[in-house]
Amino acid sequence: MKDTGKNLPTAEKNDSNLEPEQITNKDVSKAYLRWHFANEIPHSFDRYLAASLLWAMMPILRKLYKDDDTLRAAYKRQLLFFNTQLTWGGGIITGLMSSMEQERAREEYNQEEIKMTDDLMYNTKAGLMGALAGIGDSIDSGTIQYIFIAIAIPWAQSGSALGALFPFICFASYQVLIGLFFARQGFMRGRNATTLMQSSGIQNVIDLLSILGLFMMGILAGNYVKVSSSLKFELSGREFNIQETLNSILPGMLPLAVVLGVYWYYTKKGLKVTQALLWLTLILAVLAAVGIL
Amino acid sequence: METLTFWQSLIIALWVAAVMSRAFLGGATLTLRFSPLMTGLVVGIVMGDVAGAMVITAAIQLIYMGVFSPGGTMPSEPAIAAAIAVPVALLGNLKPEAAIAVAVPVGLLGAYLYQFRFFINTFLGKLTDKAVEKLNDSEISRSIVLYPVIASFTLFVPLVFIALYFGAPVIADVIKALEGTVVIHILEVVGGGLAAIGIATTIYVIGRREYIVFFLLAFFMSVIFASLKITMVTYAILGTLIAAIFVLVKRDINNRAVSTGPMETNDFDDDDDDF
Repeated sequence: MKDTGKNLPTAEKNDSNLEPEQITNKDVSKAYLRWHFANEIPHSFDRYLAASLLWAMMPILRKLYKDDDTLRAAYKRQLLFFNTQLTWGGGIITGLMSSMEQERAREEYNQEEIKMTDDLMYNTKAGLMGALAGIGDSIDSGTIQYIFIAIAIPWAQSGSALGALFPFICFASYQVLIGLFFARQGFMRGRNATTLMQSSGIQNVIDLLSILGLFMMGILAGNYVKVSSSLKFELSGREFNIQETLNSILPGMLPLAVVLGVYWYYTKKGLKVTQALLWLTLILAVLAAVGIL
Repeated sequence: METLTFWQSLIIALWVAAVMSRAFLGGATLTLRFSPLMTGLVVGIVMGDVAGAMVITAAIQLIYMGVFSPGGTMPSEPAIAAAIAVPVALLGNLKPEAAIAVAVPVGLLGAYLYQFRFFINTFLGKLTDKAVEKLNDSEISRSIVLYPVIASFTLFVPLVFIALYFGAPVIADVIKALEGTVVIHILEVVGGGLAAIGIATTIYVIGRREYIVFFLLAFFMSVIFASLKITMVTYAILGTLIAAIFVLVKRDINNRAVSTGPMETNDFDDDDDDF
């Protein structure tokens, strides 16, 4: 391609070889899949995941910026600090950046006043990455992933490999599909990408998933939290079996108390999982040693 | 003393490195890192006891329910925990509760290793900067994808290998020696109760405090219907239906509130007078 450029007179070279190409949905999908693959590979302290975003955008930027200087500037723009969740954040922002860079490339090529400034692009990205990370993490990894796992636990407990394969395949496939969806949405809606979050359709889906997640946790708690009292004693000739007494008041009382206890701990101290783990281990160990549990 | 063979230790170490480098299947490593299940399966395949490995991994998974990495870092690395705890448990023929005793500390140590990876990547980032200046796409690609992966493998493979090849049998023997003592009863009680951690974590992560009623509903359902042996899939369908009904009713009320304006209270029966 470079060779044909040399033979043409300079004026034509400027017009046809520097024109930004049209970015298609296929380009955006490809960019998303690159992001999806690279994701946290170059994860670093100074710019977190920015390198992955750059790697994802490279083909699109090459299509848009035919001049070395503008291309380099675009590369550096996408290399600034970036940290967000894989699908909701990465998807929407990959699409959004594609749309914004396309606009910027057009402005530069037509030598118009640059409205799509570096600051505008970065601030939009920075503003979205936090919010989308929060939503994406809790819905994808926090809820959907664990619904799949909750379903598979009985299979794992009975020794079946399906217990591991089912949640992995379901969740990994889901993430690719939802990521692609978000990337296309981000590209299509451009700066209005936030309206997607506010649509009632998405809100209803989030509600439903949250309820289902909590429901599955209840089932798991009932089936897999095993806390029972082995305390039995005799008092004036009568036998007292604490666990039977508890069962007659309310079955599942002890497991429920433990789960709600840990939850209450989180509400007071924040999500300190390791601390809760150590405390609970200590309390259970002491009660077990003494013979109450 | 039973031990893992050289190849077994190496393969498991390579798997852990592949997951921790985040390169194996890219984004799919997200769940490979948050959930110990697949790692347990790999250990089971490598050691020739899939059923045993899965049972132990299920117990470990219950502790780590709800765990993921907001911001990229986690307090514990479940995959590394399983990679060490499951072989130890299989070698020593231990019960799942004993495996948890190994998994928790290993998971914590693993988290530090993972952070060290960020440190190395920060230096590799300088190479990316230089390549961007030169607009050398293949050099950029190498510095973003290839070098960090090599760094991860160099970091994880030797450590996990040594832990497995030399460490696993030792830990297994120590725990085995404690068999029959009150320590095992303690481990059983603790193991049974720790599942509550994962569940409480997930509930907290999902947020929505008002929706806890659904958790309580499901909890009592599972206790009451325990003898019916209803499968998880059935419960999942049931849960989806209940959630759908709720969302539909909520949407309906919202729509009506929007279209009818101020509420007409004439519709409600006053039950106070019915004595």
